[in-house]
Amino acid sequence: MYELSSIEKEYNKLMSGFQIFLKMPEVSVGTTPHEIIYTEDKMKLLHFLPTVEKTHPVPILMVYALVNRYYILDLQPDKSVVRKLLDDGFDVYIIDWGYPSGLDRYLTLDDYVNGYLNNAVDIVRKRSGLDKITLMGICQGGTFSVMYSALHPEKVKNLITLVAPVNFDTQKGLLHIWAKNLDADKVVDYYGIVPGDFLNSGFLLTDPFRLMIDKYVGMFDRIECEPGDEACLIRNEEIVKNFLRMEKWIFDSPDQAGEAFRQFMKDCYQKNLLIKNKLELNGKKINLKNITMPLLNVMAEFDHLVPNEASIPLNDAVSSKEKEMAVFPTGHIGIFVGSKSQKEVCPRISKWLTPRSGLDEERTPDIKIKTSKRKSKKELHEG
Amino acid sequence: MNMEETNLESTHEFLDMWVKTYEATFGKVSEIPAIGPLREKSEKISKGFPLFFSLYTTWMDTVVDFQNISMEAMKRMNAKTVTLEDKTGTESYKELYNVWMESYSETFKEFLKSGHFSSDMGKFTSNFLDVQKYNREMLEENYLKPSNLPTKSDIDELNKELYFLKKQVKELSGRINKLSGNK
Repeated sequence: MYELSSIEKEYNKLMSGFQIFLKMPEVSVGTTPHEIIYTEDKMKLLHFLPTVEKTHPVPILMVYALVNRYYILDLQPDKSVVRKLLDDGFDVYIIDWGYPSGLDRYLTLDDYVNGYLNNAVDIVRKRSGLDKITLMGICQGGTFSVMYSALHPEKVKNLITLVAPVNFDTQKGLLHIWAKNLDADKVVDYYGIVPGDFLNSGFLLTDPFRLMIDKYVGMFDRIECEPGDEACLIRNEEIVKNFLRMEKWIFDSPDQAGEAFRQFMKDCYQKNLLIKNKLELNGKKINLKNITMPLLNVMAEFDHLVPNEASIPLNDAVSSKEKEMAVFPTGHIGIFVGSKSQKEVCPRISKWLTPRSGLDEERTPDIKIKTSKRKSKKELHEG
Repeated sequence: MNMEETNLESTHEFLDMWVKTYEATFGKVSEIPAIGPLREKSEKISKGFPLFFSLYTTWMDTVVDFQNISMEAMKRMNAKTVTLEDKTGTESYKELYNVWMESYSETFKEFLKSGHFSSDMGKFTSNFLDVQKYNREMLEENYLKPSNLPTKSDIDELNKELYFLKKQVKELSGRINKLSGNK
């Protein structure tokens, strides 16, 4: 009898889950209000509308990876790094790299760093009337930000890297181990534009049973309500919505521009040139010693994609006098959307940035006068 | 268990024997130079056999590896289930599920971390892409070109041309803006 009732309970739980799924509207992500202030090919530069009065003049430009989408930083209102920084009075911009197509097959790392990223930085500088801005790079976007800061230190006031790899010679992360044996030339020569699904299958393989089975079992297992318990039903709906938002983000994987992918795999993952100051973009060598601005290097202790060993050496490689490291007991994704993110990670970033985001010698009166009238999207695009 | 090695010796022996037989017989035949009016096409077709063969052997290696690792995971799971307490209801199934998940997940992770898996996966991906490329070339050669339809290389050529043109336009626009004092 007991046996039957417990089976019935599990069955009801499963059915409740399906019921929620059946009536679930499409979930929304990246809901913080923003304007698109610049576009170039597939790239868009987003400016988030302030939620409070701006108290820190130096704007933040966030640079996300080419893999997956930037909106993990603004997944939902209560799990949004963007919103938290806005609420703390920062002016926040983010680059949306878009979805590359065949037309982008020949884009190189140089096009991304010295082209799109540099143009985005210039637009933000122009709008703020400042010579230097804060660059916040996330994951591969962090690697790009490091490259950029070394090449254009005169435009970067503060550099923040979040779970960003710079030392690729480590045996701790599975991606680092596997990448050594991947024939990047064959991948790019065959696909041209490397399918996002190809990369995703690699991410799933890092923990196949948990990511392909246990995650879904766990979601249904959390649904448990007595009939008529409305508060519980609402809570369950939230569980499913949160789950679906993450699910959407995980499988929203843009394809990769072939040449950029080839160079990133070969020069970074296989030859580890960046940390050795031997990486070249369009013939120009990147010397990390050129990084002199304050640096905050943020890591996740249980990061299975970018192990701490891949990020820690950055602090020794740069010349910055002010440099800090912060490690949080969370994972690669948890650092943006986990419970620690809003309570510990964002406040830490805000605290570090606040004294470094005031006006000083970086203010350039000429530029300020020029941009005192807010330019239209069209003007900005043409400018 | 050493994750750098696999234990299914008999399966490996069988595969080795099969590979050697293939190489000594059909493998050799497929390498004979083609002759006659269709020699170019025939040679291209016969060049595909070694590619399929390599993919098959690396695939079999991967299958053996995964069989081996599944057996190891099962062994570990059995060892853990012995210690499970007797429980009634669905709790016992849940506990069994947790033991299964933990054993398989941890054992596979150990294996996936090994240089053996990384090297095998690299070879498999490489051979898979060789075959895919060959299939596409055959499709282009035998269907697209005779039908006067654009091939992947035609499109790539256009994309490359466009890429450099766009780059040049951006560079020239930048220079014009600079000269006209916009920047």
